[in-house]
Amino acid sequence: MNTPSRSARLLRTLPWLALALALLYAGAALLPARDGRFALSQFARLPIVDLGRPKPLDTFARSTLLIVSNKQSFYLAETDGTAERSEAKGHAERSALEWLLDVMARPEVARGYRIVRIDHPDIKAVLGADPERKYFSLDEIVLRRAEIEAQIQRANEVPAGDRNSYQRAILELAQHLSVYFHAESVAELLLVPPTAAGTEWTTITAERHQVDEHGGDSPATDAYLQVMQGWRDDDPAVFASAVAQYQQWLGTAQPRLMRKIDMEVRFNHAAIFLRAIGLYVIVFLLAALSWLRMTPALVKSALWVLCVALVLHTLGLVARTVIQGRPPVTNLYSSAIFVGWGAAVLGLVLERFYRNGIGAVTAAGTGFLTLLVAHNLSLDGDTMTMMQAVLDTNFWLATHVVVITLGYASTFLAGFLGILYILRGVFTRGLGAQEQTSLTRMIYGIVCFATLFSFVGTILGGIWADQSWGRFWGWDPKENGALLIVLWNALVLHARWGGMIRQRGLAVMAVAGNIVTSWSWFGTNMLGVGLHAYGFIDSAIFWMFTFVGTQLGLIGLGLLPLHRWRSMQATSQVRAPRSVKQPTAPPLAPPAPESPR
Amino acid sequence: MSGSPIRALIKPLASLRLTVALLACSIFLIFAGTWAQIDMGIWTTLGTYFRAFFVWIPFRIFLPRHWDVPGGIPFPGGWVIGGLLMINLVTAHAVRFRYNRKRAGILLIHFGLILLLVGELVTGLKAHESRMSIDEGQTVDFAEDTRSVELVIIDPSDPARDWVVAIPESRLHQGKLIHDTRLPFDVQVEAYFHNAELFEGAQDVATSAATPVANSGFAVELGAHARPRPPSSGVDQDEIDLPAAYVSVLKDGRNLGTYLAALYFTLVPRFGLQDVQVGDKTYRMALRYVRHYKPYSISLLDFKHDRYLGTETPRNFSSHIRLVDPTHNENREVLIYMNNPLRYRGETFYQASFKQGDGGTVLQVVRNPGWLLPYVACTVGALGMMLQFGTHLLRFIRRTRTA
Repeated sequence: MNTPSRSARLLRTLPWLALALALLYAGAALLPARDGRFALSQFARLPIVDLGRPKPLDTFARSTLLIVSNKQSFYLAETDGTAERSEAKGHAERSALEWLLDVMARPEVARGYRIVRIDHPDIKAVLGADPERKYFSLDEIVLRRAEIEAQIQRANEVPAGDRNSYQRAILELAQHLSVYFHAESVAELLLVPPTAAGTEWTTITAERHQVDEHGGDSPATDAYLQVMQGWRDDDPAVFASAVAQYQQWLGTAQPRLMRKIDMEVRFNHAAIFLRAIGLYVIVFLLAALSWLRMTPALVKSALWVLCVALVLHTLGLVARTVIQGRPPVTNLYSSAIFVGWGAAVLGLVLERFYRNGIGAVTAAGTGFLTLLVAHNLSLDGDTMTMMQAVLDTNFWLATHVVVITLGYASTFLAGFLGILYILRGVFTRGLGAQEQTSLTRMIYGIVCFATLFSFVGTILGGIWADQSWGRFWGWDPKENGALLIVLWNALVLHARWGGMIRQRGLAVMAVAGNIVTSWSWFGTNMLGVGLHAYGFIDSAIFWMFTFVGTQLGLIGLGLLPLHRWRSMQATSQVRAPRSVKQPTAPPLAPPAPESPR
Repeated sequence: MSGSPIRALIKPLASLRLTVALLACSIFLIFAGTWAQIDMGIWTTLGTYFRAFFVWIPFRIFLPRHWDVPGGIPFPGGWVIGGLLMINLVTAHAVRFRYNRKRAGILLIHFGLILLLVGELVTGLKAHESRMSIDEGQTVDFAEDTRSVELVIIDPSDPARDWVVAIPESRLHQGKLIHDTRLPFDVQVEAYFHNAELFEGAQDVATSAATPVANSGFAVELGAHARPRPPSSGVDQDEIDLPAAYVSVLKDGRNLGTYLAALYFTLVPRFGLQDVQVGDKTYRMALRYVRHYKPYSISLLDFKHDRYLGTETPRNFSSHIRLVDPTHNENREVLIYMNNPLRYRGETFYQASFKQGDGGTVLQVVRNPGWLLPYVACTVGALGMMLQFGTHLLRFIRRTRTA
């Protein structure tokens, strides 16, 4: 078993094996959805205009269920038609689409499902409900309708900034309920596409009215009536034929729209970013393992899987861009996706030059974390929101926003390299002189990139502001946040050039850059909320504080005396303890090449 | 080199340590100036933190407001830090730099930064912003400065034109007796609130001692009173300060009536100006935004406000206007919309907002002689960075290739 040739052969095949598995995992995203008894995959492709954008019912169902219950599917108990997720193992899963059909066609049944998520204990108390439960049915809530409406009214009377956590939570519930009721009012949804040039999307009510007044066809109304009928009577054949007929009509009436709709349904189904998260985790593990043993094969495997993950990530980004018809970054969610992408690309470039697993680990780490952030942001509903008028310009979105987001990405990447420097140095013996040099070089290079991107991005933002409202710089929180990143990166570079910091100092300051970036990315958005009433911390603020806390902890670690660093103990046996010192770089020049070559 | 005493003096000013220290100071100042905007309006913050020589930074701005932590620290303001950065930069180039091709990138970056700082200086000192709000069909020949108000008293008796006496906000403070030779009476300021809340019904017990009671004008008709409010916050851009003043009209030492003048009345069309009766003559009075009259006029022909289907999210605003300027013989139609302003006679007109019910437009009017500087600065700085980091990158790639 352990003959050298065998293990050598195994090692040689490992990268190929890893690549094949990764491709298989990624490729599974392209498999079409399989239908059960009902032709749901066709129903998913019916169009609707919601929040100002034409989208498939699939997206509408998912985002509505996400808003109401914070998940994309739930489980159904056979007995009472209601079930908590926790008590539902082994029960039938109800997809968002099936739920939407129930809401539309059998509202009285759907109202019994326990899917409205309520977290605030005081609201549960108002409902007179068990404080341990998380999900409630609409029936249960409607039972207390008068009381809840009174509570909502009271909360509404308080000015937005002065509301306490309970008042914010009850208003949030009100908003969730209105989203639910909106989905229930089938006849009032914008389900009917324009039939002639110059007409707009309209509702089934309007279409029927039109037909009553002026005659003509009502393909949408007919289709939905039958679809609902088929679903109510549990008749897959009626359902399928109605959907198919309507699809055919749509295909000829709105071919371009339907191609986009089809793409979005595939995109939803593929869950590309979740798959990318999985692959990033694997890359991270492979590269980290490579520092323990079997180096070249594992590094190669990590690199190849990283490539697959990045291709997936890129595909997702491109798909969103095409579906939306906009540059990649339009809101906080897409900025998270893009920050991860930018950091992963830069990490891959580093890996290409250094081939030591460091680039791969940081690419995977940042890719994983930012996609995780994005995933959590996506729980607010549809992620392809429409832009406010002043932001609605593809030119500035494509330049300022993309460049500044790359600035975030590179500052984060430098920060993660710094973390790696500190963690490997303090806890392992792996940070030898050569690793120190190469990591420092990487951090330095990425900080240079970050300075460039954040500087240009910030100034482009100023120019956009000047174009839109005549004020190049207004000192508002978001602008100040961007400027802080530029100043911080400039500070790091100048401190390095002045010899005030060396390798370790660079790493520590790069980690501090993570705090600055998270502040300007998320912190500035939080200034308006929760500061008057700190009693309750929104979960975003909580995570922000947690992140800053971990970074401060890492900085603390990095500042430990060098004799406490395991790596330095290792080298100190060979060299004098302070021999890692390098000659001071000349002012305003990049660090001198320190490594003995 | 180090022999000259001037050099010895300049050298610390040119040091990289000073650069780093100043960068750190500016980071802290900006950070604090951001937090301060939770309580203060953006313009107040600008004046206290960024366009100031020194600033007192209270600790409580970083903490939950109900903790009420006392104390703070004095800190150099934006003018000082920016000025020192500039000195540091210039002296560094004078003392430390040797000029050669390798330094060209750095030189360009720093030159760009100097331009940016100068641009901000020019903007801080010279830029002027005002607003023009025009209803559909209306013609307007003035812009309003929405950051300062004035108390105007109008004599409408001349059919040819109104005679207006404007009292600036700086003179409106409690107890001030305003005497103007153009007016046959004096105005006594009983109280002035920079931001006030109007309410109907009985006066509060808490404020009634300090606040006078109006006995004439809108206040009596509506049964309205004013009480002070904290200034609106910079974080919430929708809020504006609504000043109000209680003023008495005095003639020959006799009080002819105490009025409540409030910006709120001016902004709400159904109120507008209130009458002030002095003897048998009726004057009109209002507290309104300071007006700057223009030698040209703008009429709003049509205002459009498109929303995304089925939502209230605005998709586009546009103002179709007619610009008439007899002195330049201009008479033409212009379409102003988002990201597409009108530049005219050194001023730029931006689509900023709209009136309730889409019945009118609000244009932002900006005069900034330094508006072009950031563009040049950006180009120069970005070129410099590309040159600097690009050469590093190329060298690095070449080295790894050969290694």
